[in-house]
Amino acid sequence: MDEKKDILSLDKFSVKEINDLLEKTDSFAEILKRDVKKVPALRGKTIINLFFEPSTRTKVSFEIAAKRLSADLINFSESSSSLKKGESEIDTLKTINAMKVDLIIIRHSDSGYINYFADALPVPVINAGDGKHEHPTQALLDLYTIYKSFPGLTGLKIGIVGDILNSRVARSDIKLFKKMGMDVTVIAPSMLIPENFSFFDVKIAAGIDEVISEVDVLYMLRMQFERQDKKYYPSISEYNKFLSLDLPRFNMMKTGSIIMHPGPVNTGLEISSEVMEMEESGKGKIKINTQVTNGVAVRMAVLYYALS
Amino acid sequence: MEFGNLRLAEKENIVIKNGCIINPQTLDKFEADILISGGKIKEIKKNLVPGPGDAFKEINAEGLYVCPGFTDMHVHLREPGNDGEEDINSGVKSALRGGITSIACMPNTDPVLDSQHLINYIKLKSKELNFNIYPVAAITKDLSGEKLSEFGLLKSSGAVAFSDDGRCVQNARLMYEAMKYATQFNALFILHEEDYSFSGSGLVNEGYYSAMLGLEGISCFSEDLMVARDIMLAKAAGARIHITHVSSAKTVDMIAKAKNDGVNITCDTTCEHLFFNDSCLTGYDTNFKIKPPIRSEADRMAIIKGLRQGTIDAIASDHAPHLLSEKNVSFKEAAFGSIGLETLFKASFSKLFFEEKFSIEKIISLISYNPAKILNIEGGAIETGRIANISIIDTSCENIYKSDDIISRSKNSSFLGQNLKGEIKYTIANGKVMFINN
Repeated sequence: MDEKKDILSLDKFSVKEINDLLEKTDSFAEILKRDVKKVPALRGKTIINLFFEPSTRTKVSFEIAAKRLSADLINFSESSSSLKKGESEIDTLKTINAMKVDLIIIRHSDSGYINYFADALPVPVINAGDGKHEHPTQALLDLYTIYKSFPGLTGLKIGIVGDILNSRVARSDIKLFKKMGMDVTVIAPSMLIPENFSFFDVKIAAGIDEVISEVDVLYMLRMQFERQDKKYYPSISEYNKFLSLDLPRFNMMKTGSIIMHPGPVNTGLEISSEVMEMEESGKGKIKINTQVTNGVAVRMAVLYYALS
Repeated sequence: MEFGNLRLAEKENIVIKNGCIINPQTLDKFEADILISGGKIKEIKKNLVPGPGDAFKEINAEGLYVCPGFTDMHVHLREPGNDGEEDINSGVKSALRGGITSIACMPNTDPVLDSQHLINYIKLKSKELNFNIYPVAAITKDLSGEKLSEFGLLKSSGAVAFSDDGRCVQNARLMYEAMKYATQFNALFILHEEDYSFSGSGLVNEGYYSAMLGLEGISCFSEDLMVARDIMLAKAAGARIHITHVSSAKTVDMIAKAKNDGVNITCDTTCEHLFFNDSCLTGYDTNFKIKPPIRSEADRMAIIKGLRQGTIDAIASDHAPHLLSEKNVSFKEAAFGSIGLETLFKASFSKLFFEEKFSIEKIISLISYNPAKILNIEGGAIETGRIANISIIDTSCENIYKSDDIISRSKNSSFLGQNLKGEIKYTIANGKVMFINN
């Protein structure tokens, strides 16, 4: 029997396998442009969408992806389950598995816990984000968005801005972008970069101005100042001065470059409201909604991969 | 496997034949027989023949090493308060399985060992089970880090040392006063060194693996800053301090310098810290979640060097039993700690003898003579007239360590799945054969 196809991270995928997934995504993206946006590829398959941590876009994106492939998807979230009755999370998973499901999508707030679930379950598990560890489908949709915006990936300059320390998106993105031959710089204050970060083999800049005119892709991470571990960062004003994308900076970006964000955007913090308005004016630089659209096609490709 | 009856105090007449006796004090070994009677070592010589008329239990130790019973100076027995994880009885059996005949138990029980009646209770249990248990009393009441416990009274009841293990006194002034006061009773401090501002909500060593795995890091500064502080304070106070479970290279270095500088300081490390580096974390196995965390390979190498050069005086288990339900959860939620009484010798021997080429005598000194000397307790030597605490080991065995092998009530060992070399064949505690591995 083949090993089950868990997707916990993209570390084990070769460049060729990633390229295959991108191509597969292309064909699913095509379906989404049709009038009837549904194919029978996963008809008869049962998928559980299990979110131990709140989410809107990832959860809905997986749900739409599964339904476009004609799979039966059941949503499950912590608040409506017997977890409140004291059942342990692993027991909940085993109970769900006993109902003969084909694949489980899981998000959890604790790093690595999904690896443990995947070991305990006989069906494929897809990581929809675990703590500060990995978010592989986000990385793939980010890569796909870049792939569709440029003629080639190798040598593209990308700047990732913000809280690297606490971001699973940053971890998954950096590893995937490096694998695909891109030139990655992180732009972050020292307290939001892991200690001894050199092993990630990326460049580090303290402020956005150091890279703004050179990057092909500017990737803005979500900044959550209310979190306890931000207590060492001085203030929002300081962040705005050195790390926010405002209109003057937007105007310094080179032709053809793009702006991304995993969402939801804190308008006025990571990206100023003036820049956010540019999206509506159709300048085409801001790909935040494109990322969301691509997310569905990418997740269709991922589900199809795991179940075929 | 057989255990002796802990509650029967009668002594046995034993003769150990043909073994190779290890003297960890002089780092020698020699072949001789040992005669034990009335709980004590009566005679040590070659070709020993017991007197006629006495019934002697004979142990053939041919091809085996006969060592002083091991001393583990860092054990959590969980009694009183958490006997689902371990109790004194099950902890003692686990110790005997590991060739250990003396243990120092830490005070972070519920209630905390910070009063005379609790120290008396442990001593009473020790007597009842005919096994040497040396209670360590709390430095501060309820481990609060706020008010000193009664060093004089507790020591007179039998506290072998003082520690807030599991916690660390953050208030430097309080620690200084504690050290000065302890010297008035010639009391030993066993120090768990942790600066909370650096350990915080950390789970593993801060470095490559913490970043890659998305697990919050505990910087070496957490240990190093407190060790630096306490060396400075101990020097000024003239206090006698022992740093337990040393994990970082910088700490090893500071302790070596402090020893040269005449500070009255000793230290131990654990089997985990000498055996593993933080690459073990990639599978998110919660049995590797311990405090201080398993650190980088560079730190592990410094620990090996510290052991080799004598900077690190002893190896302890930091036996920390936890229920399956405290470990079968996410890495973030899991309890810190690993059991270790049963693997103290095997893990040390596997790594230090085979990979690091330590002599068997040196390894035995690190788990018998040295810790007994630090605690100033009986043990650590095989000599005529001494109480017979002896472990007999076979260095030719090796086995993959499995959960079924564990005697402790808890199964949270970091060494599960490891190929461990060496085996305990007999443990003689207070003149009686208490464990036989047949």
